Order: sequence, then C-alpha cells, then structure tokens
Amino acid sequence: MALLSSDNIKKIDLAGRSILERVGLKISDESVLMTLKSAGADVDFANKRVRFHGAWLDEMLRQAPGQLNLYSRDGKNDLRLGTGRVYFGNGGRVFRVLDMATQGYRRTLLRDVADTAGLVNVLDNVSFYVIACQAHDVDLRSYHLNDFFHAFNNTTKHVMGGCDTLDGVKQMWDLSCFIAGGKDKLRERPFVSVITNPISPLTLDSTSLQIIEFCVLNGIPLTCAPAPIAGATGPATLAGTLAQMHAEALAAVAISQAFSPGACVMYGAVPSAMDLRTMDLAMGSVETAMMSSCAVALAKTYGLPIYASAGVTDAKVPDIQSGFEKGVSYLLVAMAGADYIHLAAGMLDSGNSISYEQFVIDDEILGMVYRVLNGVDVDANTLAVELIERVGPGGNYVMEEHTIKHMYGQFFYPTLSVRKNFDVWEKHERPTPLTRAHALVRQWRQEHQPALAPEQVLEIKERFAGIVNL
Amino acid sequence: MSYETLSDAVVKGDINTAKEETQKAVEAGDNVQDILDSGLIAAMDIVGDQFSQGLMFLPQMLHSAKTMQECVELLKPHFQEGGVTTKGKVVLGTVKGDLHDIGKNLVGMMLEGAGFSVIDLQVDVAPEAFVAKVKEEKAEIVGMSALLSTTMPAMSQTIKALVDSGIRDQVKVMIGGAPVTAKYAEEVGADAYAPDAGSAVIEAKKLLGID
Repeated sequence: MALLSSDNIKKIDLAGRSILERVGLKISDESVLMTLKSAGADVDFANKRVRFHGAWLDEMLRQAPGQLNLYSRDGKNDLRLGTGRVYFGNGGRVFRVLDMATQGYRRTLLRDVADTAGLVNVLDNVSFYVIACQAHDVDLRSYHLNDFFHAFNNTTKHVMGGCDTLDGVKQMWDLSCFIAGGKDKLRERPFVSVITNPISPLTLDSTSLQIIEFCVLNGIPLTCAPAPIAGATGPATLAGTLAQMHAEALAAVAISQAFSPGACVMYGAVPSAMDLRTMDLAMGSVETAMMSSCAVALAKTYGLPIYASAGVTDAKVPDIQSGFEKGVSYLLVAMAGADYIHLAAGMLDSGNSISYEQFVIDDEILGMVYRVLNGVDVDANTLAVELIERVGPGGNYVMEEHTIKHMYGQFFYPTLSVRKNFDVWEKHERPTPLTRAHALVRQWRQEHQPALAPEQVLEIKERFAGIVNL
Repeated sequence: MSYETLSDAVVKGDINTAKEETQKAVEAGDNVQDILDSGLIAAMDIVGDQFSQGLMFLPQMLHSAKTMQECVELLKPHFQEGGVTTKGKVVLGTVKGDLHDIGKNLVGMMLEGAGFSVIDLQVDVAPEAFVAKVKEEKAEIVGMSALLSTTMPAMSQTIKALVDSGIRDQVKVMIGGAPVTAKYAEEVGADAYAPDAGSAVIEAKKLLGID
C-alpha cells in the first residue's frame, strides 16, 4: 500500500508550487537577490521575497542531475544516487552521547567525531558518514577543519557534514582538495558533501546561501534540506507540512541551479512533528516516518535524488521504543525507494544524542531492511516443487543440497538478535541486543585503525596548523 | 599418513570423493585405525571448530557427519573382530503423545556423525517401547525429545518405567526439546540435558566418559 495515491502526490506538488508562486521564499542577501534576478526569478527587493513561477521553476529543476555519485575515498563504498539503490548513513550534529561505561550522558568531544567515523567505517549497512556531533573541546574557529580531518582519518566512506559558516566550508574544502591531490580531482570524485538547511517556514538565511553558492561553484555536492515541524514550523496537517516542505526543497534545488546549472544537489527532506500535548519534539513519531516516506514520492516526481531521513527516535536509551520507532521509520522510507537516507544510525533523544551501541544496533536493523528490499525471488529453483516431491510427506529439508545452496542468500543472519534456546540464553547470562552491541563496541575500540597513512597525516598537519591531535 | 584430500572431502561434505579416498587408502593397505583417526575424525574436529565459530552452518555439519558415517561403513569390514566399536548405542525417540520430530532427527544425525550407533524409535513412543528397545539393544543411552510442555510428563513416566523394569542403572537418560530445561532434567532424574543437537553429542560423550 502506497501512502499517497498518484492523485494526492500531484495535489501536494501543486500546493507546493502554488506556495512558491504566491508566497515564495524570504531571502535577505542582496547579492543573492541580484543573482536570482539576473537568472530570471521574480524578485521583490523591497520585501526581500523571491517568487518561483512555474515555467522558471521547471527550467531550473530540469538542469538538476537525476543521477549523481557521491564517492568514497577508496572506491569501495561509492554511492550511485538516482539508480534505484537505497543507502543509509548516520546523521548529525548532536551534542550529547550516552556513555555505556558510566551509564551516563556527557557532552560530545572531538574524540567522538573520530570514533563515530571509525565505527561507521566498519558497519556494513551504513554507507556514508555524517559528522555526528559537536566537538565541544575544539575552538569554534576551527571545528570544521578538525571535524573533517578526524572523519577522514577514521573512515574511507563518503563524508558529509553540516557547515555553519562560509569559513567552515572553506576549511573543509581546502583540506579535501589537499587530500584529493587538487581541486580538479576533488571535483571529479567528490568524497565529501555538505548539508545546509532553510529555516522553515520559507526562509533562506545569508550564510546558508553563501555556503550553497560556494559548494555548487566548486563542485561540492550538497543538499539544502527543509526541516519543518508539523504543528510548529509547519501546518498541523501532514499534507500541509509536506506541501510547505516540498516548496522549500524545490526552491533550494532551483536556487542552486541558478547559481550553477547542473550543480549536484539532492532534494532535501527532514520533516518531523511536535507532540502538541506538551510541545515536545516527536522525531520518532509515526507521522515523521510517514512524511519522510511521502517526501520520497515528491522528489521522484521531479526525478531528483533525495536526501531523506529515517531512524530518529525520541527514546533516551537504546530500548523498546528506539527499536520500534526506528523499525517503522526505516521500512517506510526505504520501501518508498529513498536514495540517500541520513539519521539512520546511532540516533537517540529526538536527534540530540547518540550512542555507540545504537550505531551497532541500527546496523542490524538496516540489515533486516535490506533483506526486505531484496524481496522474494520466485523461479523454478526457489519454488522447489521437485525437491518437495522428492522429500515427500513427513521428510525434512535439513540435509538437502538445495538447503545449503540457498541458505546464505535467502536469510539475513543477525548478530545481535537473541535466538538461542532459553536455557542456553540463561547460561550465557541472558544476553540482549544491547549487551551484545556493547561487547562489539568494546571489541571495535581495541581493533580499530586510522584510515589515513601516517605520513599523509604528517603532511596534512604540517599544512593545516589548526588540527588538534587526539 | 596424511589424508588431506580425504579430510577436505569430509569437511566439504563431498561424499563421493571421501568414499573414493577411503577406498583407495584401504586398497593401498593403510592401517584402518589410522584412516579413521587421521582422516575422518581429524576432519570432524575441523568441522566442529568451524561450526562453533559460525563459519559453517548446521546443514553443512550434517553433510560432513553423513560423509564420515559412509566412510566408516567402508572401513568396518577391515577391522579385526571387536576392533572397531561405535562410541555407544543410543535409543532415541519423541515421547508418547508428541509427534514433533525435526529436533530429534537432528540429534540423531549429529550423534551418528559423531560415531554413535543410533536406534530411532521415531515419534509417539510409549515408555514400554523405550524399555523394550533398550533391553533388546543393550543401549547405553536413551534419548527423549518433547516439543510440547503437555507431553513432557511422558519423560518422567519413561524414566519410571526404566526403574520398574530394573534397568535404570544400566542406561543413561538424556532429554531435550523446546520446553525442557536443565532444571526439569534434574527434577525427573534424567542424567543429562541437551539444549540443541550439538550439545547432545557433547553430553552423550560425557555420559559415557568419552573425551
């Protein structure tokens, strides 16, 4: 069952387009207004409003690539968006981490950026790394440089990060060019990308616009992802929040094309909801998951790869709530066919906290989700009628060659889920997915290795004085 | 002697190659005990290791066990009288009132693979049927399985029947099945409890004092 009929997708799309025509976006940056004006947008300088009329909007959107590649540094985890593949990555940028050793929460540090990158590097179902947390122990002027350096030093997977300042993006870009061996090489195989956000409702601030412009002119893929909260910064109806979010997402894509036709940009979608009983953020709500799923259909209307969201929970610890909220969310968004799903590993506490154990648990849930996406293959061999005839009533299939041939491909084998016989489970001191995840995290901490060669690290540190040693 | 090809075939569950290699070794006049120890048992040790590390799945282990079994059959005629004995005789069955047999079958296959001789009474086996077969075969172990918590009391009844017929001290009792626990085994006076097919082999060896 699709959440939206094609008629209703069309209605939401038309509503979003109508919002862009009638209301438009508030943009205060004079130079951006000039750029958009000369690109043909309807700019109201007095009210700092840019309106997007249908024909111009479509002209801009048509220039956005339907397929784009986000590269890994070693080529082992390149992401080919727009090909039907679904990729998951973690999300950022939280300020608190659950420390299982002390059972307490603490502020995140640069060490946590390095360690989450290192952990993501070894998780099979997490294909890209997003700078996961704020490095509270690093000077505000140099945390972008340090975030990206320590991410690169711990994972070869694609790295994405939220950038807060133009200077921060430049720090990231200089470092990335150096590691790539030149800006042309980075442009050819961008192994890093950037997240910006409009402010819902319908506002794009100057810094975000400067960051977008810098990225598209330098070939850094990006998204500018609206994050309306239904009932607060979006209407309390799912359709209304989707229409507004769609308008914001399309506007961001159009603006990036006005800056640089053909720029690699993803349609961004981070819708969520408020619990209106108390005004607590409900990022793990079923409505959040539903809207994220619907957003995929809206992006597909324009053939745009989507930066989607799934796997956020409001639970404060890895528990029953985190399990069911994440499970529902992953399935709804993945089964809609989202290209690039962030926030999908490690998240707790409505997007404010992470837990290392949760990263490992989420990787396992994602394994189940991938199994679902692989579907049920039906052919003469898998139907096995001849085998069923041969085994006959009362027989069994345990020793059959057919069993051995198919047992690897047909089943997902979890490492955390407990399937042991009750007595064996008791004998092993009642393991749970959480205790098993904790053991795996401890093992990983003992084994993990940096991703950059020591001599390369020396060169980088010589060149970039602001890098902090861990 | 090195039996690398034979061992490999057993590990892979390749029955044809394993049998050919065994036959070749016998025809070459090799010591049959050596073929058994260095070829077949050594291979099953590897299989056991790989299984416990999760590198091999149960169906593959069963294939190896079956391969080993068929090779042992080829060796048997060449042993001196009494020279080759099985590890022990096990009478196996699902208890009265219970028709579930996949778990019991797995235990049987594993025990045979490990070198035990298994007499399978199948399902819905009455206490007196267990007693009669144990007497007839002079079995060393009787293994009972139950999937239903409602049929578990039949285990206790069978043990009582063994006592009543005066042979309880001649046979070890091992029980298993989803609702069965170590505690229950103790309560009903069984000698061993095995939570799964792999443990059944370990427990059976322990019962008979085999390392």
